[in-house]
Amino acid sequence: MRDMQVLIDIPKDTKAELQKEKTLEEKLEILSDAAKYDVACTSSGVDRAGKKGYLGNSCASGVCHTFAADGRCVSLLKILMTNHCEYDCKYCKNRKSNDVERATFTPDEICRLTIEFYKRNYIEGLFLSSGVLKNPDYTMEKIIEALRMLRGTYKFNGYIHVKAIPGASKELIYSAGLLADRISINMELPTQDSLSKLAPNKHMANIIRPMNQISGTIAMHRLAVGKSARMERAGINDHLMNSIWGKEADRIGTDATDRANRLLPGLQKDTDSFLFPADKKDLNLGRAFAPAGQSTQMIIGATNETDLELIRTTQNLYKSFDLKRVFYSGYIPVNEDDALPEPGTPVPLLREHRLYQADWLLRYYGFFADELLSEEHPFFDDAIDPKCNWALNHLELFPIEINTASYDMLLRVPGIGPNGVKKIVNARRYTKVDFEMLKQMRITLKRAQYFITCNGKMLYKIPLEHRFIRNRLMDVDSVEIADVGGQSVQYKQMNLFSDFNMSCTG
Amino acid sequence: MYIFSCKPRWEDMLTCIYEASASKMGHTNIKLVLEPIEQYSLLDQYIHVDSDLKKAECVMKSIREKISPQVYRELAYASMAYEEEILDLIYRVLLVGFSYGPDVLNMVMYREIMQFNQIRRRLGREVNHFQEFVRFHEVQKGLYVAHIEPKSRLVVALGPIFADRMPSEHFMIIDDIHKEALIHPKDEMYYLKPLNDSEYEQLLKTEEMNDTYTDLWKIFFESIAIRERANKKCQTSLFPLWTRKHAVEFMETSHN
Repeated sequence: MRDMQVLIDIPKDTKAELQKEKTLEEKLEILSDAAKYDVACTSSGVDRAGKKGYLGNSCASGVCHTFAADGRCVSLLKILMTNHCEYDCKYCKNRKSNDVERATFTPDEICRLTIEFYKRNYIEGLFLSSGVLKNPDYTMEKIIEALRMLRGTYKFNGYIHVKAIPGASKELIYSAGLLADRISINMELPTQDSLSKLAPNKHMANIIRPMNQISGTIAMHRLAVGKSARMERAGINDHLMNSIWGKEADRIGTDATDRANRLLPGLQKDTDSFLFPADKKDLNLGRAFAPAGQSTQMIIGATNETDLELIRTTQNLYKSFDLKRVFYSGYIPVNEDDALPEPGTPVPLLREHRLYQADWLLRYYGFFADELLSEEHPFFDDAIDPKCNWALNHLELFPIEINTASYDMLLRVPGIGPNGVKKIVNARRYTKVDFEMLKQMRITLKRAQYFITCNGKMLYKIPLEHRFIRNRLMDVDSVEIADVGGQSVQYKQMNLFSDFNMSCTG
Repeated sequence: MYIFSCKPRWEDMLTCIYEASASKMGHTNIKLVLEPIEQYSLLDQYIHVDSDLKKAECVMKSIREKISPQVYRELAYASMAYEEEILDLIYRVLLVGFSYGPDVLNMVMYREIMQFNQIRRRLGREVNHFQEFVRFHEVQKGLYVAHIEPKSRLVVALGPIFADRMPSEHFMIIDDIHKEALIHPKDEMYYLKPLNDSEYEQLLKTEEMNDTYTDLWKIFFESIAIRERANKKCQTSLFPLWTRKHAVEFMETSHN
């Protein structure tokens, strides 16, 4: 007997699993803990009414159901199917060489959790990702099995976000997209160099190629039902003369493929959309392919990319592949490795916050990446937000008159957002807008006052001078910066010697 | 000052508006308030108005025809708000509306329109909060009950939201403050029912009936947070304490 055990070489972790089947509680704890580093937890992008006999609907604005202790929204049941992984990405907690507790959900367990949580209004749907079990195709097949059961047997009509495993076959990714609402492939790192340094099993080609194919297939499905090839964007973009979605944006299917080719030579051989699903029945469900679009995620602070590179990559992804969102994930040191920041390094929360602010400027405010940063200043200012920074560097354009300024210019004033602009333009049709009205409209005058006039007058008599305004804006921003880290601003008594550089010599 | 008062129901409010304008006392001399009135003043004269379906319909018809059905919808929605000045604001909005027509809610130069819009937006946010934070408990197999404690009488606004979300489930949402229940039988239209004390007492016990999925949800809620990013301030501002009363993830475990 003893000899038998020596002969059969069972890996250590499998052996442990064999000894004791884990309970659903244990599995949920392990696999949600393993999934928490994925950022995307949005349930937005598609409106779908409920129907009798089915469970669930979907709301384009997204619904958050709770907020975890880190302040992040929980909208979906975010879990991994398994945290067993064949890959050894250095930044990842579930990498092959790490000795962590492993578990795997059965498709039925995933379905029951989703359905029961959904009925209690805990979640809006399912976010399903996975470690690479055996190989990408096998993993993808298992994921699809769970999704088919959820949509078919359990008649679930809510939101599903599924991760495509890089390297899985086309047919499998097509099937996954037909079953889910959003499909995403994590880019993780924006260049091939960083990727080969930190994720030796991943290749840029395996990420860009499916991304291109997914965007082509989404466009194909949209055109087939009489929609435009590109996804819908925030309504404000319709009013802008120029934005990254405007006239200059590439048309999907023609120029986008060229651009993808330039990014990655050798892509030409592939067609730019999927043609056959893994199972013909998936097409008969009558669902569009990924109606809520695709998204991706990049890790911030594990390698030495500049903010400019990141934001340029983001813009390119939006333009070429029509991605719905690009997420940033501040790197949290979980592994010890020479190529990585040391454990205990603080999470770059402020940097992540600034990148998201810039991302919003691209998607809602008509800004372009190269307006926000330049080769000389490739990083965002810590003390002041990107929009204020842009306005300070273009003081020659300000102040603008609220009652006559264009949509584009109003949106570029710090303190005025898309909603504020809509309110101002609406009010302008009936009356002259004054500062009292702006206050009522909840326009942030503590930022906007330096850049606007109402009926020819500014709110206070102030010099339009770079250093003066910058100091004032830094004061306003300090509150926001403290909020990012979950702290409060510490105020102190001003001191002539330290604050005004006076000395008492002689 | 003449003060017209009525119960906080839409038909009563419409009748009150009818009586107020038919009284011909001058718009500046009258005020409309909702009952219960907390503090009576000695110098004002109070006039209680009971609902009269005919008069209410008359007001409804003239709003829909002379202003627009959309504005009528907005006013009816806003009437759920808890703010005590809401009835008076609806009256003032109507005065502006009858002279300007369907664009009345964009006339922000009028203070009353701006105030009305602010309350409407706040109410929208409150409804959103409860759309997100309602927590159902499975009382029997296939029967779900939730309790909420909103400031406004908004349980009726949750009806269409949850009927679309779970069309083929039996469920019930109970407003503990205003003692109303929204009842949705499987595959049927939902309806609103005022609760008497004995019904309410009985329904209070449903929250103690936790099941394994409540425990699983608590496990998930704990393990999905990243410790290195802890930010209590952010969590509190996004999930205000007053809306947490019935959120199971913040409740102490009380297992039978």
